[in-house]
Amino acid sequence: MPQLHVKNLTKYYKDVLALSDVSFAVEKGDFVGIIGPSGSGKTTLVRCINRLITATGGEICLNNDKNILEMNRSEIRKARTGIGMIFQHYNLVDRLTVIENVLHGRLGYKNTVSGVFGHYTEGEKRKALEVLGLLGLDEHVYRRCDQLSGGQKQRVGIARALVQEPEIILCDEPISSLDPGSSKKIMDYLRKIQSELGITILVNLHQVDVARTYAKRILGFNNGKLVYDGPSELLTTERIQEIYGKEAHELILN
Amino acid sequence: MSSMISAGTTAAGGAIPQHHHVRKGRIVISKVTPAKLWLRSVLAVLVFFTLYGFLTIDTAGADLPASFVQTVRYFWIMFTSPRAVASHFGMSQSAGGFPVFLSAVKVLGITLALAFLSTLTGGVVALVLGLLAARNLTNDRISNTIKGIVAFIRAVPTVLWVLIFAIGAGLGAVAAVIGMSFHTVGHLMKAYSESFEELDEGVIEALRASGAKWPHIIFQAVMPSSITSILSWTFIRFEINFAVAVAMGAAAGAGGIGFNLFMSAGYFFDIREIGYITLMILVVALLMEVIAARLKKHYQPDAL
Ligand SMILES: Nc1ncnc2c1ncn2[C@@H]1O[C@H](COP(=O)(O)OP(=O)(O)O)[C@@H](O)[C@H]1O
Ligand SMILES: [Mg+2]
Repeated sequence: MPQLHVKNLTKYYKDVLALSDVSFAVEKGDFVGIIGPSGSGKTTLVRCINRLITATGGEICLNNDKNILEMNRSEIRKARTGIGMIFQHYNLVDRLTVIENVLHGRLGYKNTVSGVFGHYTEGEKRKALEVLGLLGLDEHVYRRCDQLSGGQKQRVGIARALVQEPEIILCDEPISSLDPGSSKKIMDYLRKIQSELGITILVNLHQVDVARTYAKRILGFNNGKLVYDGPSELLTTERIQEIYGKEAHELILN
Repeated sequence: MSSMISAGTTAAGGAIPQHHHVRKGRIVISKVTPAKLWLRSVLAVLVFFTLYGFLTIDTAGADLPASFVQTVRYFWIMFTSPRAVASHFGMSQSAGGFPVFLSAVKVLGITLALAFLSTLTGGVVALVLGLLAARNLTNDRISNTIKGIVAFIRAVPTVLWVLIFAIGAGLGAVAAVIGMSFHTVGHLMKAYSESFEELDEGVIEALRASGAKWPHIIFQAVMPSSITSILSWTFIRFEINFAVAVAMGAAAGAGGIGFNLFMSAGYFFDIREIGYITLMILVVALLMEVIAARLKKHYQPDAL
C-alpha cells in the first residue's frame, strides 16, 4: 500500500492549466526528485499535497486516509502536522532565535492558548535540541536567525520540519538559493533523514544532476503533465529532452 | 571605440552632432516637463505671497528693532528666572518652592495621564484593526474597507475630533481623551498594519503548512517581527499625544498643565511662570526621548 497516492490531480489558476491529470504513488521512505522547466507545475504539485493550494480536481490520499481535497479545516490542520515543508527562501522568523523557530514546528499540535503563549513541553524542547544536534546546529541554538548563513538557515528550516515528526517532507527548491558547498550539505542531510529516520522525501529541484544523484525515483513534469515517472537510472538523455524540450538538454547536462 | 572618442573631441571643439540636446548653442542637461513647470509656478506664487506678506504686514506702529530686542529680553527672563505662583497651583501664598513644584508636577501628571490614556485606548483598537487590515493577514476586501474608514478618521484633525465628541460629552477631559484616541487609532492603525505587512508571506505560509492556527501565527511570527516598530510608533504617538494634551488643556478645558499655561499666558501675563511650565514640559519631552532610545536599544540590540 503506497503512503502517498495522487490520482488524476488537476489544477487550474483561473484558466491557466498548471497540473493536468497527474497520477502517481509514493512508497514510505522513498526519495523522490521532481524536475521540470520553470512553470511546469512543480511548486503547484507540492502545495496541493499539503493544501496550501486547493486543487481543482482529483484525489490526494496519505496512508489511504480521507482525500485531502475533501477535508475540512481542522482535518487539514491535522493532516499538515504529518507533512513537513522546506522552502527555497527558508521562511524563518528572522527576529527570533534558532530554537524558537524550530519549535514553531510544534504549533500544529497545540491548542490556541498554549500556542499563542508559546508554551512548549520539556519533551518538545528536548526534541528540538536533539534535532538541532542532528543537523550540526548545537552552537547556534540561541542565535538570532538573521545572523545565520543561507546554509545554516536552511538547516533550521529542516529542523523545524523534523520536530513536527512528519512522515513525509516536501521541499520546494531547497537549494536554489545556496552555493554549491551548502547545497551538497543540505542534500546530504535530506538523504540522511530519509535513510536513517525513514521519512519520505519529495523534493523539487531544477538541477537534473542533483536529482539523479540523490533521488531513487524521478517525476518529470512538462507543462503541467507528468511526462516521466521512473527510477533515476533510466532517466536517459531522450527522457530529459522530453521533460525540458529539445533545445534545453545541452545546457542542463553541462 | 576610437571613433567615439574622436567624435567627442570634435564636438567639444565646435558643432555638436545631436541637435535635440542643444538649445541656443548650449547643451541642455535637464528637460522641462509639465510637472517641473507646475512646481516652478507654485514656488513662484509662494515666494510672491511671502514677500507680499512681509512688506504689507501691519506692525501697528511698533518699532520693529526695539520690539525684537524686547522679545529676546522676555525670552531671557522666561527661561533664566522661571518661577511659579503658589496660588496658581492651588497652594497657599506661604507655600515654599518645593511644595509648589510638587503640585505643578501633579498637574503635569494629569496631562501625561491624558496622553497615556488616549495612546493606550487608541493603541489597543489600532492593534486589532491593524491585524485585520494587514494585506498579508486578511483578504483584500476587509483590508480595503478598514483602511478606507481609518484614512477618513486620520484625515480629520485631532482637535476637530475632540470638538465633535464635546457635543456629547461636553468640553473636558472625557471629550479630549475620546477625540485624541480616535485620531490615535487613525495614525497607529496605519503604522501597525504597515509593519505587519513587512513580514514575508512565506513565513506565514510556512507556519500554516505545519498546521499552526491563525492566532499562533499572529503571536508567534507577526508580533515578534514587528514588536520593535510597534513600540516605537506607539511611543512616537505618546509624544504627539502629550503635546496635544497640553494644547487640549487650554483649548478643550481638559485640565492639566496646558490649562495652567493658558492661564499664565492669557490671563495672568506671567512670563516667568510661562518659563517655569515650559521648562517642565521640555524636561518631560527630553525624558521621553531618552526612554524611546532605550526601548529601541533593548528590543533591537543588534540592529544598532
Ligand atoms: N498563484 C498563481 N496564479 C496564477 N497562475 C499561477 C500561480 N502560481 C503558478 N501559476 C502558473 O501555474 C503554472 C505552474 O507554476 P509553478 O507550479 O509555480 O511551476 P514551477 O514550480 O514548476 O516553476 C505556471 O504557468 C504559472 O504561471
Ligand atoms: Mg517553483
